[in-house]
Amino acid sequence: MKTEREHGISRRAFLTGIATAAAAGTVGLPGKARAGGEGAFATLIDLSLCDGCEGREMPACVAACREKNAGVVPEPVDPIPKPFPRGQIEDFSRKQGVTSRLTPYNYLFVQKAEVELGGGKKTVSIPRRCMHCDNPACATICPFSANHKFESGAVVIDQDICFGGAKCREVCPWAIPQRQSGVGIYLHILPTLAGNGVMFKCDLCQDLLVKGEGPACITACPRKAMLIGPKADILAEAERRAAAMNGFIYGKEENGGTSTLYVSPVSFEVLNAAIEKGPGRPHLGKAQRKMEKTDPMARAVVASPVIGLVAGIAAAAGARMKSGKEGGHE
Amino acid sequence: MSRQAPEGKNLVKRHALIVLVEHWAIAISGLALILTGLFELPIARRYFITEIPGLRWSGDYVFSLQLHYLFSVVFIAASLFHVVYHWFMGHRAILPQKGDLRESWEVIRSLFGKGEEPPFAKYLPEQRLAYAGIAVIIAGLIASGLVKTWKNLFAPDMDLWLVLWATWAHNLFFVLFVLAFVAHMAAILIKPNRPMIRAILTGWIRRDYAEHRHPLWIAEFALQKKPAVAVTEQDAPCQE
Repeated sequence: MKTEREHGISRRAFLTGIATAAAAGTVGLPGKARAGGEGAFATLIDLSLCDGCEGREMPACVAACREKNAGVVPEPVDPIPKPFPRGQIEDFSRKQGVTSRLTPYNYLFVQKAEVELGGGKKTVSIPRRCMHCDNPACATICPFSANHKFESGAVVIDQDICFGGAKCREVCPWAIPQRQSGVGIYLHILPTLAGNGVMFKCDLCQDLLVKGEGPACITACPRKAMLIGPKADILAEAERRAAAMNGFIYGKEENGGTSTLYVSPVSFEVLNAAIEKGPGRPHLGKAQRKMEKTDPMARAVVASPVIGLVAGIAAAAGARMKSGKEGGHE
Repeated sequence: MSRQAPEGKNLVKRHALIVLVEHWAIAISGLALILTGLFELPIARRYFITEIPGLRWSGDYVFSLQLHYLFSVVFIAASLFHVVYHWFMGHRAILPQKGDLRESWEVIRSLFGKGEEPPFAKYLPEQRLAYAGIAVIIAGLIASGLVKTWKNLFAPDMDLWLVLWATWAHNLFFVLFVLAFVAHMAAILIKPNRPMIRAILTGWIRRDYAEHRHPLWIAEFALQKKPAVAVTEQDAPCQE
């Protein structure tokens, strides 16, 4: 006949285990992603105010962004290693002056849309950059956590640990990050077998945000078409302006919510149809959060320790009861 | 459920059904996690793995993450079940014991014809040490994986240092897990260990092998004056 001690556990500890498991099972899970909370900033881009800096050689926001980020991309090695086996590289080092799309050297550009408005033709200027999503798939999917969303709301790529696999661009609904081959950590590890450069994009001037300053593009805008502020305030302001102009908002619901809200007197369906789209030129259409599909299973993962714990205790209790009946002891 | 060996069979019960289920749940989900974890790296399309029939999904990061989560549920639940169940049942035979390192060295020497293999209890000292090693690796994988999952689901702006620690710990333990799997496979290929394969597939092991190699385990039955073939999971001291 076995005693409880021979089973290696006392009745008291056994009951404590059951109580612990039961308590763990009742702990509620948060209902929503935390990012975008009280500490987060958001930006507002008012398309009724932006004129693309007509008359200037380059829009002020683009010029400020380029000046702020000049020298961020190191000089690529020459020749750039050909990644085995496909041999495809992406090299913008000889096209650094391109400002008509997103590139590793250009994190903001102004899209143009020719639309009908008020009975006449109008050109709408749309500054485009990373939307800084509330729960960014690019950060979820990065295997090295080189891409991270900060409490400020900024989604930032750490160029020192990015291998340039471009997963972030693939899962981004707008394909924002841009790759420069021939730079980065992969050159020091397996340059032809793993990695293919570094991904670059807008970081919302995170270094300025932590100092209490605004992003370079917003500070430079001569028409105050862009604003930054606490997310709740910016959202309220966007809704107020949209209501006042009988207009539309983009970025509030897209990809599960973002930290960039566009306000426009023209619908985004119309704008989306009118803009030139393609690599480095993101759309303005619907953007469902791709990672949404993984959420139910992720919740099951978070619950799985409790499942195992409770099942283990239940099975042990069952086995001990059976053992007690068969052997005439507890 | 009868645990008697079939009449006239030279067998003794080594693992209860619940142990086989735990082992294979962890093993199969663990292998699936290795595969789906690898596909979280941008390799499937680059290396034409997506062209292999049946592996087109390997280039879909969202789908492979879903699969990774699915197998994580099995892996984590089975691991926790294992720990809790055997803790409450008082099964301690597989936990490392004092002198295991020295005894392991003797076993390794004996494999190369130097000295005699010492008599074993239910598990070899190497098995007990390997168990502790793989337990640490699995605990590390589970803890770091849960942090990453929590971040993905509820806290995308989690503290960067915690995210980096979890990510790199997960990657490091992933490599150790693969190495542990390779070592596990190598161990069962060693000739004296091969009869144990039957035990992890069926629960039964050859009695003459057990008497020869695990006399201390068999002696435990004798001490209880119970026939080895009739031993039950509940009767066996420190069964697992």
